[in-house]
Amino acid sequence: MSDVKDIEDLIARVALQDRAAFSDLYSRTSAKLFGVVLRVSNNRAEAEDVLQDAFVKVWRNAGKYQANGFSPMTWLITIARNTAIDAKRRKGRSPNDGDAILDQMADPTPGPEAQTIAASDRAQLGACLDELEQARAEAVTRAYLHGDSYAELADHFDVPLNTMRTWLRRSLLKLKDCLTR
Amino acid sequence: MSETDNHNDDRALAGEYVLGLMSEEDRATFEHRLKVEHDLRALTREWSENLARLTEDVDPVTPPPRVLKGIETRLFDDEPTSLSRMFRNWFGSGIVVAGLAAYVIFGTDLLERGPQMPTEPALVAEIAAEDRSLVVQAAFDAEAGQLFVQAEQGGARDGRALELWLIEGGNAPVSLGVLSEDGLTVVALSDEQRRVLPGAVLAISDEPTGGSTTGAPTGDVLGVGEITNV
Repeated sequence: MSDVKDIEDLIARVALQDRAAFSDLYSRTSAKLFGVVLRVSNNRAEAEDVLQDAFVKVWRNAGKYQANGFSPMTWLITIARNTAIDAKRRKGRSPNDGDAILDQMADPTPGPEAQTIAASDRAQLGACLDELEQARAEAVTRAYLHGDSYAELADHFDVPLNTMRTWLRRSLLKLKDCLTR
Repeated sequence: MSETDNHNDDRALAGEYVLGLMSEEDRATFEHRLKVEHDLRALTREWSENLARLTEDVDPVTPPPRVLKGIETRLFDDEPTSLSRMFRNWFGSGIVVAGLAAYVIFGTDLLERGPQMPTEPALVAEIAAEDRSLVVQAAFDAEAGQLFVQAEQGGARDGRALELWLIEGGNAPVSLGVLSEDGLTVVALSDEQRRVLPGAVLAISDEPTGGSTTGAPTGDVLGVGEITNV
C-alpha cells in the first residue's frame, strides 16, 4: 500500500487542479478502489462506470479533503463505496445522494477520541468482530463490503427484517464498545 | 430516554449511516443533524475509519485502461491537443499564485459547525440570471474580510463549474474562484479587492471544471449582480 503521506500530498495537489498528481493518485489507488467497487457492484461494466464516477468526484472534491489525522485511503474508499452503493440502489434516488458524507468528512476538528481511532487497525477490528456471533459479524461485513441493505441482509440470513435491524444495531453497539476499549 | 440511551442510539445510528442502511427519510434527518452536531460528525468519522479497515482484505484489481481514459475525457475533454494542455499548465500555475490572494475554502472546512452566511454583512449582492434559473446570494463580512457565496437556485451543469468574478468599473473581471458544488463558498478577499467592493459587480460564468484557464471568463455569463449596502 502506498505511503499515507504521499496519498495525502497527492490529494492536496489534486485540489489545486494538478493533473499530474491526479494521474499519479489514480495509478496508486485505482486498483484498490476497483477491488472495493467490484465487491459492491452487480457487474464489471457497472463497476467501471462507478470507478469513473468516483474519480470524477475525487477531482471535484479534493478541496474538501484536509489532512486531519485521518487516513486519506478512508476518504477515497468511502467515496468509491458510496458511489457504488448509490449506483446499485439508483432507483428512485438522485445520483448524488452519497455526497453528503464528503462534507461531514471534511470536519477539521477531530476530537481526542477520533484521533485515537486513526490508529485503529484491521487487527483490532478483527478482534472486535470476533467477539460477535459469527453471523452477526458477517452481517456487518456484508453490509460494508457488499453494500447489502437491511432487506438483502434479512433475506441472506433468513430472518425477519425487524430482527435483522435489531441484530445489527446491537452488533454495532457491541463493536463500538470494543473498539473504544 | 436517558442520556446514555440517546448516546447509544447515536452510536448505532452513525454506524448504520456509514454502512448505508438507513431509509432515505432517516438519512435526510441524520444528514441534517450532521451539519450541526459535532459529536455526531465525530462518531460518523470514527465509523468510517473503523469500517474502512475491512477493505484491507479486498484484493486490488487493476481496472482496464478505458476507465482512466473515460475519466480524463469527462474531466478534461475541453482540450484537443497537448499544446493547449501545455498552455493550460502555464496558466494553471499562474492561477495558483493568484489564488494566494483570494483563496477559496470549500464546503464545511472553515469552522467547527461549518461556515454560515454572515448575520450582519456589510455588503450584499444577488447574482441572478434574467429568468432566475440561477440565483446566487453573496454577503461580505467586513470584519473577517470574507465573501460568502451561496446558490439559492440552480447550479453548474454536469461536468462544468460556476466561476465567480469581481468586476470594478471598466476593469477586466478578476476571478474569485470556482463555486463549491454544494453548500457555501467562502472567499478571502485581498485588501485591494475589499476596497473596490462597494459599487462593483459580481458575475458568474459557465466554465470547465476547475475554472477558466485563461484568467478571463470563457463561457457564458450566467448572472450578474451589483454589490450594495444592506
